[in-house]
Amino acid sequence: MVHRMANILFIGLSLSSILLLIALGLSITYGAMGVINMAHGELVMIGAYTAVLSGLYLNLNLFLALPLAFLVSAGVGLAVERVIIRQLYGRIIDTLLATWGVAILLQQLIRLEFGLSFFGIHVDGLGPGFQSFPIPAFLSENFDILGFTVQPYRSFIIVLTIALTFLTWFLMYRTSLGTQVRAIMRNPQMAAACGIDVNRISAWTFAYGSGLAGVAGVLLAGFKAVLPNMGESVVVDGFLVVVVGGVGSLFGTLLSAAVLGQINGVFAILTNDIVARAIVFGVVIFLILLRPNGLFGFKSR
Amino acid sequence: MSFALTVDGLTVDFNGFKAVDNFTTTIEMGELRVILGPNGAGKTTLMDLISGKTTSTSGEVKLFGREITRLSEHQIARAGIGRKFQIPSIFRDLSVIQNLEVSASGEPSVFKNLKYSITREEKQKIEEVIELTDLSDVLKSSAGDLSHGQMQWLELGMLITQDAKVILLDEPTAGMTKQETMKTADIIKKLKGKHTILVVEHDMAFVRDIAERITVMHLGKLLAEGDIDTIEKDEAVREAYLGSGGIH
Amino acid sequence: MIENRSLAQKLDWAVYITFFVVVLCLPLLTDDVFWLNRISKFLVFGLLGLAIALSWGYAGVLNLGQGLFFGLGAYMFAMSLKLKSGTSLQQGSDKPVPDFMVWNAEPGSPTELCCIVPGSWLWLPFQSQTFGMIMAVALPILVAFVVGSAIFRLRVSGVYVAIITLALVLLVRLLIIDAQPITNGFNGLTDLGWLNLFGVEFDPYMYETYYLVAVSCCVIMLAARWLVSTRAGLILQSTRDDANRSRYLGYDVAAYQIFFFVVSAAIAGFAGMLYVVAAEFASPTFLDISFSISMVVWAAVGGRSSLIGAVIGAVLINSIEASVSETEIFKEAWKLIIGVIFIFVVLLLPRGIAGVARDFARWLEDSYLQSTSKRG
Repeated sequence: MVHRMANILFIGLSLSSILLLIALGLSITYGAMGVINMAHGELVMIGAYTAVLSGLYLNLNLFLALPLAFLVSAGVGLAVERVIIRQLYGRIIDTLLATWGVAILLQQLIRLEFGLSFFGIHVDGLGPGFQSFPIPAFLSENFDILGFTVQPYRSFIIVLTIALTFLTWFLMYRTSLGTQVRAIMRNPQMAAACGIDVNRISAWTFAYGSGLAGVAGVLLAGFKAVLPNMGESVVVDGFLVVVVGGVGSLFGTLLSAAVLGQINGVFAILTNDIVARAIVFGVVIFLILLRPNGLFGFKSR
Repeated sequence: MSFALTVDGLTVDFNGFKAVDNFTTTIEMGELRVILGPNGAGKTTLMDLISGKTTSTSGEVKLFGREITRLSEHQIARAGIGRKFQIPSIFRDLSVIQNLEVSASGEPSVFKNLKYSITREEKQKIEEVIELTDLSDVLKSSAGDLSHGQMQWLELGMLITQDAKVILLDEPTAGMTKQETMKTADIIKKLKGKHTILVVEHDMAFVRDIAERITVMHLGKLLAEGDIDTIEKDEAVREAYLGSGGIH
Repeated sequence: MIENRSLAQKLDWAVYITFFVVVLCLPLLTDDVFWLNRISKFLVFGLLGLAIALSWGYAGVLNLGQGLFFGLGAYMFAMSLKLKSGTSLQQGSDKPVPDFMVWNAEPGSPTELCCIVPGSWLWLPFQSQTFGMIMAVALPILVAFVVGSAIFRLRVSGVYVAIITLALVLLVRLLIIDAQPITNGFNGLTDLGWLNLFGVEFDPYMYETYYLVAVSCCVIMLAARWLVSTRAGLILQSTRDDANRSRYLGYDVAAYQIFFFVVSAAIAGFAGMLYVVAAEFASPTFLDISFSISMVVWAAVGGRSSLIGAVIGAVLINSIEASVSETEIFKEAWKLIIGVIFIFVVLLLPRGIAGVARDFARWLEDSYLQSTSKRG
């Protein structure tokens, strides 16, 4: 009984971790720039495809794919910020709509193999079908300690998430860059008046958030089929976590990811996946109605 | 004597900070009352409390003897209080005439407003206001395209078509040029008598121009009340203003 | 100042009249009933665009879960039509039971609607087509009223409304899928019977059905247009611009928002019912997020603050999509183009096609006025 409970909580914790990684990036872009990036899920998807392609063509393993995916997603995110989002600051609903267009665009580029499939050329690792990404053997085999089943891959996800959350906290609260980002969060005009280069900082912040999405994508690829539309459900979950946690609050995002992930995990085992997700949505609606600024949000913008 | 507005022991406590503290005053029907006070005296908060934006911790507000303290914003507005904000609050995407049509509807209900027609009285009211505020040249323009002064007058005009018995004005001349300020004073003077008016204002020249009675607030409390000469000679008022450089 | 913006208004009416004439005369030009059926579905989507424009453009409330009301309307009416289908009459029985319930039933359960599977008794009243029709509009209205009251009384606004409605449509979609024994889960309700009104059978591939949809569409457009031009419509727009100002003018802002949220839901529910008549199925895909966001795309491309613009946007986008969808690869490429168009519209034409048309009309008028004033 204790073992079963521990297992359930463990699976919930790993779900929470992925959620947190996705939400962390969103929390930064939404909180710092007031951008609802509907293409965040596609940045996750691009991370997953980076892993697949780097495994296929460069023979890179999981550990090398992680930093590569961070860079690729960050690069795509940076480009999206420079070309589109930059023109939409302050128009939050429009950022939602425009980035939804970006999401479709990115999905279709992968599905159509960057347009090459028009010319009958097929690229392995792309296209509408699903791809898989092998994880190193020593992470995929479960082993027992004191009767508890340890799933090394899930443990790896949890550890990496903790590390990246800590890194994000450090960047945001212990560096001058982070201070500038938080200044922009609270009051962008004032920050600009204080000599902060809002454009440049916003671009870097967006790139960092996008990079985190790429990392989440690689981790997802380890236990889920990689598909062009895998980002669709991911982005909604991520947003719910951010909004429930409170915009701009790292701690709120952390707590809300933990709670929602656990609710999902526990109810998935007590009932089924579908009901578990439905319960999560119900809880989220209720919480937003009661506390529109989130559990730990502040009023801003 | 009948009072338009009675404020009795009004207090609001923001986590231990009393922005308005046991404030009491009465305003006669048709009176024009100016509220003065250094920054942070609680003037805007007082207006928030009267108009229902903020809920008071204790005390009561009565409009023509009717208790309105606990009503919501739109109920207080229907009871007869109109409010003008410091930053002009108008419907920027609607035309000027549409702004006035919205404010002129005497009918709050959704279902009773499912009609095109404007009554003759409403139309007449709107025309009077257009003349008073001198907006006839811009009736079809979007309100958001007006000059700062015109926006302020439009907002004032909306309070008149709304038929507010008591009008609360929060710094109506903020950001205005000299000419605009003079015109605003003219409009306000024309309203005297017909409406009861409560003005928060810093511009002393303007205050001298329009004021009859003045109430001075300090740290949420009533400091002094009287006509302009009494207030200018009042020791306590001088004291309170010393920090912010006295009355200009 | 003389009424100098009249051309834009005349243009508006001209577009309405042209649209009605084209829509109502279309069957005279073709005998391709499959094509007409397709157009009738697009007109239904037009109503969804209209519902979005009403809540987004006029009330400033972006509902990212409009598919919820469309889906509810569709399911309610599809239940009635399912019971009228030949597939629901087992072995010459005269008591209808949906075929999928028979397949899913525990061995030995009675083949009766009341108790074949748990919860199947909910289907009983839907044996009446009238009940299904009423519910197709009444349920969306009820749900919208409850949800709208919660959202607007608590003064939730902006992005949070979008997120709540989005979570809600996902929630209901999951509930429908999970109630597989009575909803047929992912597969939805298929093999439906035909609508029968006053003795007329509405075969989806006959002119009658096209006219039913087309006339309903025109009537609803006119009604919506009337609604927004009343005082209540004007007050609603005022709450969009500055809700606090409306409050201090004495309007119960939430009441206006709830009323129009409910109207928008009722239109979507009615559209769901019409869609079922024309398309002969109801499915959980109606409650997919991508479908709800598509509605917003149609409205945005057509013009979020123009009712007819949103209708035309929906019909136009879907028509183009249908014409390029003949081959799989073009269909995928079209989606890519839609993505690009959408980014383009949001960045450069935030008021959509209708905004461009209005600006053009004003430009024409101004240049006309200038030329006459020079002459005079």
